Amino acid sequence: MNESDKIVLQQSADGLSVFTPGHSCYLEQIRALVCAHTRKIGFPEDEVAKIEIAVDEVCSNIIQHAYATGAKWCWPDRPPEIRLNLCMEQDQLIIAITHHGASFDYAADCPDRMDVRLQRLHTDGYGIFIIRKFMDEVGYTSSDATGNTIRLIKYLPTSPSPSP
Amino acid sequence: MENYPRLEDLLAVQIQQPHATIVLDCKNLQYIGSIGLGGLIKFSNQSRAQGGELKLVNVPERVYKIITSLGFTRVLQVYQTEDEALASLASPKNCDE
Repeated sequence: MNESDKIVLQQSADGLSVFTPGHSCYLEQIRALVCAHTRKIGFPEDEVAKIEIAVDEVCSNIIQHAYATGAKWCWPDRPPEIRLNLCMEQDQLIIAITHHGASFDYAADCPDRMDVRLQRLHTDGYGIFIIRKFMDEVGYTSSDATGNTIRLIKYLPTSPSPSP
Repeated sequence: MENYPRLEDLLAVQIQQPHATIVLDCKNLQYIGSIGLGGLIKFSNQSRAQGGELKLVNVPERVYKIITSLGFTRVLQVYQTEDEALASLASPKNCDE
């Protein structure tokens, strides 16, 4: 194992940065890190599970499609990598997931409705629905200079008001 | 995504048996994503095509909440226990319940 095969973490008061090779064998570790961080912030377990699956869907899509052999990568000379940045801004958790594989605009993609796909017993095409359903906002930017970034936002649930 | 190929290999033979009921014990399932969920629909479709059924049992609460909120329990047969799944053979469960 060399340096490029490792997950690199940077934790600060502002949040968490994760730099990982773009391979499926790292997904479990990515999920564990995201769950631990979001629990620490104070998200309830049901919301932690939703954030976990949304992040996993984004990373899985990147590995499976953006870094697919033959896809047009932004920076074809670099090995597949994924960078995650998690930070809180007021009551919002912002998760930025950056890669340099092929561009794909999650925010603009409009597949069939999920309930229709389920009714028809489709066996794939659920990832983007899951990301949108479980996150409050989904954004996307892409440039040759910075690579592709998927931005997920989840609002921290407000504490229930104390009983009178 | 990581373990799905293993599950596919495990079920590949059984799923092709005519009229086979497959009860999948999910007690050790810690996580499932869209690839796994799509795979369960595929196995369920294949099983039904052979006149059989795929039933999931012992799904951990955390996973169950996710698949319920996504609507997958409307198209997958999910039971609390193996006994409940086997009892359903006499009285098939309506997935919309």
